[in-house]
Amino acid sequence: MRDTVSLCLNGENRHIPQGSLLSEVISGEAPCGGRGSCGKCRVLAFGCLSPVNERERRHLSAEELAQGWRLACMTRAEGDCEVQTGSAAVPRILTEGVGDAYNISPSFLKYGVAVDVGTTTLAAKLFDREGHELAQTACLNPQSFAGADVITRIGAVLAGESFRLKNVLCRAIDERIAELCAVAGVAATDVGEAVIAGNAAMLHLLTGTDPEPLSRAPFAVKRKFGETVTAGELDVSVLLPETPVYLPPCISAFVGADTVCAVLADGTARGGTRMIADIGTNGEIFLCKDNKFYACSMAAGPAFEGVGISCGMRGESGAVDRVDLVNGKLYARIIGGGQAAGICGSGLADAVACLLDAELLDESGYLDEDPTYICSRVALKQADIRAVQLAKSAVYAGIATLLSAQGIKASDLDGFSLAGGFGNYLNMRSAARIGLLPAELARIARPVGNAALKGAEKLLLCPEMRDASRAIAESTETLELGGDPVFAENYMMGMLF
Amino acid sequence: MSILQEICETLQKGRAKLMKEMVQKALDEGIAAQDILTDALLPAMSVIGEKFKNNEIFVPEVLMAARAMNMGTDVIKPHLAASGVQAAGRVCIGTVQGDLHDIGKNLVRMMLEGKGLEVIDLGTDVPAEKFVSCAMENDCQIICCSALLTTTMDVMADVVRAAKAAGIRDKVKIMVGGAPITEEFCRSIGADFYAADAASAADAAVALCKG
Repeated sequence: MRDTVSLCLNGENRHIPQGSLLSEVISGEAPCGGRGSCGKCRVLAFGCLSPVNERERRHLSAEELAQGWRLACMTRAEGDCEVQTGSAAVPRILTEGVGDAYNISPSFLKYGVAVDVGTTTLAAKLFDREGHELAQTACLNPQSFAGADVITRIGAVLAGESFRLKNVLCRAIDERIAELCAVAGVAATDVGEAVIAGNAAMLHLLTGTDPEPLSRAPFAVKRKFGETVTAGELDVSVLLPETPVYLPPCISAFVGADTVCAVLADGTARGGTRMIADIGTNGEIFLCKDNKFYACSMAAGPAFEGVGISCGMRGESGAVDRVDLVNGKLYARIIGGGQAAGICGSGLADAVACLLDAELLDESGYLDEDPTYICSRVALKQADIRAVQLAKSAVYAGIATLLSAQGIKASDLDGFSLAGGFGNYLNMRSAARIGLLPAELARIARPVGNAALKGAEKLLLCPEMRDASRAIAESTETLELGGDPVFAENYMMGMLF
Repeated sequence: MSILQEICETLQKGRAKLMKEMVQKALDEGIAAQDILTDALLPAMSVIGEKFKNNEIFVPEVLMAARAMNMGTDVIKPHLAASGVQAAGRVCIGTVQGDLHDIGKNLVRMMLEGKGLEVIDLGTDVPAEKFVSCAMENDCQIICCSALLTTTMDVMADVVRAAKAAGIRDKVKIMVGGAPITEEFCRSIGADFYAADAASAADAAVALCKG
């Protein structure tokens, strides 16, 4: 077996066999079929790479080579390296969310900004005093150079990268606010208040709070936020230093302010028996039953974000985002049309559901033909199916364990909301078919989009709700799934289809 | 098909209840407990381990097979003890301090038991000293440490240090595993063996116990 090396591709870390050609790892055009003759597969690459060869010199000037340009089809990853593809693909980041009507009575004079700092993406909106949305924007979280998941980033902070991680985040927030203001034609100095939501790790990193308690059990976080700081303290420099910035409260180490905001936006806590789930690399679930609140989180892994899947990619142009089975044949829909470059989370759930229906995949997850092609250039391997099994089972088991701990069945729920980008694009029939969600929940699931940002907006425009958000955060009981035998059983057996 | 072959297949199918009956039937027919173990149970778990390593089967099948194995061993255990049969080796296992993720650790335990090793499961969030004192009190040949978090894997170095400090480093091997662990990390902390998956861990453990 070859050793693996770590490759950071456009800010996202993955492990690849040592000696892999970069073209094997990145999905891009290779009109000459990888012979190094067309020069179309140029990428920026740094780190431990094979030496520049003659064919590369033919296509790249000395200056370009010095800048780090290489041909992906000629360059091998000999050790850890970083690659940036010049792809013009626009990431599909959800900024829209569904929410209830409420009383708009902001404390800012002219304009306010709501921001959600996700582990993967950052989204923001600008509002006026009447609550009109003037502009919205989104970008990828620039901290991804330090790892895709929160634990790796916390590790980076503990290894001394605290300033860098905080700084890139503050600069990204600066840029987003500047962009919002430019689009709306207003001065950033007229922004009178901001609300910045995020998970507990993101708020720790943003505020420069020591994240050590988040790094290991018992995960006893000291700072749970639900407080107002100033832009100056945070180092968000595009705003006047005295501008108040409200940081919503977190429930626990892995159920953060983003979940509290999603609950506020969705109205999950308004009564009855309701649940909201955000399915991402780290999934969070919140349950309201008889006006009592329960929550848990589970590490589902990044499979549904397209990471760790051989043909996986984000939901951007070129991604298969939907698969149908018609008369025994698979039909793939590709974002933006044209050639498929890979498959994103929603496409992956569909593909697995279709393979099960077509009996090309059995209930144990065994793939008849390895790999199985979904469409030209996109195939699923046995290892991809295993990654899907781990991810979908973590979500299913988290939901099942939280429900059974409160002695309720999926059919007892009055409402089930699904927050986040993946939940929004996910086909519910596929979700039930592959066992990502209990069938009863898939039937009643209501996608609520970027509910965290919607909740941050609510807290910005209606500051009186901040007390309510603190009350929710403080009274929510968190169920620790790590080491829970019921979860372990649900998780292991939930891997079946 | 002989009854031992039938037991072997029943185990692989993970039919725990049937296992209990069949192992009892084999004993009643006068087959020695030791033979049931070495000719039916262990070979069946070897097949499971091999298939798991090759991605042909996955966690649920391993779990069900391991449960069937336990049903079988429960029936023969008193007989093995009575005839003075020794386990192939003794190991202790746990997730390191600060880490609660025990599913991978549990899979390794099942595979180790499937090789006929005696496993002392220390559970989750286990301090370095506890691994070492357990190994000393029970004469374990191997300490197996698991970690899933990049932030807790360094605790494994503490286990190696604690074993050295207790003066048992030459008597006990230290095996490490978990998602963020690599061969290189294993070497850097001075542990003895890195296992990439549960089946490889079990193979290596058997080899290490044989010395």
